[in-house]
Amino acid sequence: MQTFHSIGTTTDWIVMVVYFIAIMLFGSYFGRYTKNTSDFFFGGRRFSWWLITMSIVATGVGSHSFVKYSAKGFEHGISSSMTYLNDWFFIPFFMFGWLPIIVYSKIRSIPEYFEKRFSPSARFLATILLLLYMIGYIGIGFLTLGKAVIPMLPEAFTVLGMTLPITLMGAIIVIAVITGVYITFGGQTAVIFTDLLQGFILLFAGFLLFFFGITYLGGFDVFWNLLPTEWKLPLADFNQPANFNFVGIFWQDAIAGSIGFLFMNQGLIMRFMACKNVNEGRKAAAVNILFVLPISAIVVGNAGWIGKAISLVSPDIISPSVSPDEIFVVVANIIASPGMFGFIMAALTAALMSTVDTLINATAAIFINDVYRPVQQFFKRNVMSAIERDRKELLAARYASIGVTALGVLAVLAFKNFPTVYEAHGYFHSTLTPPLVVGIFLGVFWKRFTPAAVITTFVGGVALMILGARYPGIFIAPFDHGIEMNPDHPYSYIRALYNTLVCSGAAVVVTLTTQWQRKLITAIRENQNQKMIMNMMVAITVMVFAVVLFNVSVLSVQVLATIAVLILLPLTVTYYVKYDENINTNGLTASSIDVARNLFKGGNPNDQEGEKVFVQLKQVDGDDTVIHFSTKDMAKMKAAVGDLVYISDKRKWMGGLKSIHSVFGVPHDEDGTVYITPDQIKHGLFVEGKILEAEKEM
Amino acid sequence: MDFTHTWLPFIYLYGLGGILFIAGIIITIKSGSFDLSRKAHKKWMWVLLFGFVWYLMMHALMTWAALDIISAYTVPIVLLGMVVVFIIVTLKLRKIKEV
Repeated sequence: MQTFHSIGTTTDWIVMVVYFIAIMLFGSYFGRYTKNTSDFFFGGRRFSWWLITMSIVATGVGSHSFVKYSAKGFEHGISSSMTYLNDWFFIPFFMFGWLPIIVYSKIRSIPEYFEKRFSPSARFLATILLLLYMIGYIGIGFLTLGKAVIPMLPEAFTVLGMTLPITLMGAIIVIAVITGVYITFGGQTAVIFTDLLQGFILLFAGFLLFFFGITYLGGFDVFWNLLPTEWKLPLADFNQPANFNFVGIFWQDAIAGSIGFLFMNQGLIMRFMACKNVNEGRKAAAVNILFVLPISAIVVGNAGWIGKAISLVSPDIISPSVSPDEIFVVVANIIASPGMFGFIMAALTAALMSTVDTLINATAAIFINDVYRPVQQFFKRNVMSAIERDRKELLAARYASIGVTALGVLAVLAFKNFPTVYEAHGYFHSTLTPPLVVGIFLGVFWKRFTPAAVITTFVGGVALMILGARYPGIFIAPFDHGIEMNPDHPYSYIRALYNTLVCSGAAVVVTLTTQWQRKLITAIRENQNQKMIMNMMVAITVMVFAVVLFNVSVLSVQVLATIAVLILLPLTVTYYVKYDENINTNGLTASSIDVARNLFKGGNPNDQEGEKVFVQLKQVDGDDTVIHFSTKDMAKMKAAVGDLVYISDKRKWMGGLKSIHSVFGVPHDEDGTVYITPDQIKHGLFVEGKILEAEKEM
Repeated sequence: MDFTHTWLPFIYLYGLGGILFIAGIIITIKSGSFDLSRKAHKKWMWVLLFGFVWYLMMHALMTWAALDIISAYTVPIVLLGMVVVFIIVTLKLRKIKEV
């Protein structure tokens, strides 16, 4: 396979360095708005849908990168876009199930949901799985970044007479240091605004490349007529080849990937949490999936399509044997002029950094919320003041970001031997998402889903997945839809179907047998040796799981061990975990969103639709938890004392950066004026003399 | 062109995907979280259904274009037309106030 080094000119490098400095300065400017951990992770729940939509572009485009889709575009044509165009099927579940729950329940991380909905032990397991997922995702991001910059670097450089080779891992470590420095001192607000800028630049750079490519080839008709029919089709062949087939990618991406991206990607969830309300989150998701993703599909894949067309007419310029992961850089270098190539490469690498930044920030949020705080509570170190605690948590969040960055670099080792980044990502998604996806999905939409079922999904489901990974020809083959098994990377995509089915199966069977488990546990409780029986049951469960995990003994023994896990674990959880279905599901399932809204507000929501009002601020001393409008303004908004209010700078283009949420206090008689405390002015970043826009939330 | 590369993936995608999509709408309506008695939610129903048809049309048009049944230029023209319809209907629905 043909590989490249030292692509690009000095001008390109200058453009790249200037671009990076400009982006970092831009991010640092907004980093000053980070005052506490809420700002660091969630940007203070204040932003408009359009700002979040554009900031998701950089994250989405970055993670579903130029590199991997150009690679598949080069190998298989326009069907490389199918991964971007299959996310709509789960949107009703997201918009009217998961999104309102995460906002109204005020959870800060996905594992926290598992504790509220099920038990602390479910949270513990969810934290482990989610951290593995996030760190793996960061590893994929770093791998892509490394593969993007390697063609631009020389094969080796000389220092003090010594020649040092430039390796993929070496490049990744340098990139990780730069990325880690930025995120550690920026926070979510900085990430959102940097991504906003980069979202626009990315779309521009992608279309610019397409335009240059089409012009280079002699026009759209020439380009279109050069491509054979199978490369023009928008969906891949149903079940071949093994490394790129429709049905495998449907299950890996449209099912596991879409639910994973929408429901358990903490980075994306945090973006939606940064929206000013649920409806803005819905708008951001809808516009992003409906319009931005199809545009992004062209932006990220077109270098591969252009590369394929060039390789057909001029194989001497682009050889068909070019390493697919390098095709983006190769094509950009051929069709763009010096300087412009640097700009495109800067946009690409900066986008990838955005993705990695978001993921690092999100993983640090999980660490603080689901590891640091529980540990602090366990050791009862919560005697300090709220301000002091927040200061310490912010510091811990920054250290966590550094640690997560280092682990992300190590995770690259697990993926770097896959032929392309696309396959590495597909394998990763198929393997790590199903247990959590099933846990979240059934937790939200099935009230009867119990802690015993979710924990069995996490442990028993994983045991079944391990069996599938170890013996794919036996366990995954029945679901393969005729896909040929590649012995080096068996069933990279369709394993998602097997993994989802076994996790769902474990979840459903355990839930449906809840009454039997309870009867059996009641019988055990009546036995005077109940503690000994339960201790033995725990010991046996751990041992049999270890048999599967560490590949002890033959297949039949491992299957029996898995069955034992699936039977004993639900009983153990039923015995030890205190769970009341009515209490634990209140406000945490799709059927109790009204309860969640009540809890969020602290009273009955006021859903009467009022008007927005424009007011001048007047600084007063008083209660920081309420703001006061005139009686007439409150009547316009159809608001009552105690209702929730969102007040922001009138200038729409600020996207809610200068805003706060508060509660309506007792009204006054000064129309067109809001009484607001100095602390609220500071938190909302309001400027005296500027008009504010207020609206009742609920 | 082989059916397994042209329409079988399309049928599988929108057949199975469609079942999941409809199931999502039914489940969220039954759970009460998607409440069609609220006008705001009715507007979202329009967006959801448009989204499904939007993607279905996009893939169908791209397949026809690849098979030379229609011109490649027809794809963006029809899709742009759909966007215009979406914007007009959504703006009209926005004017309906919730009581």
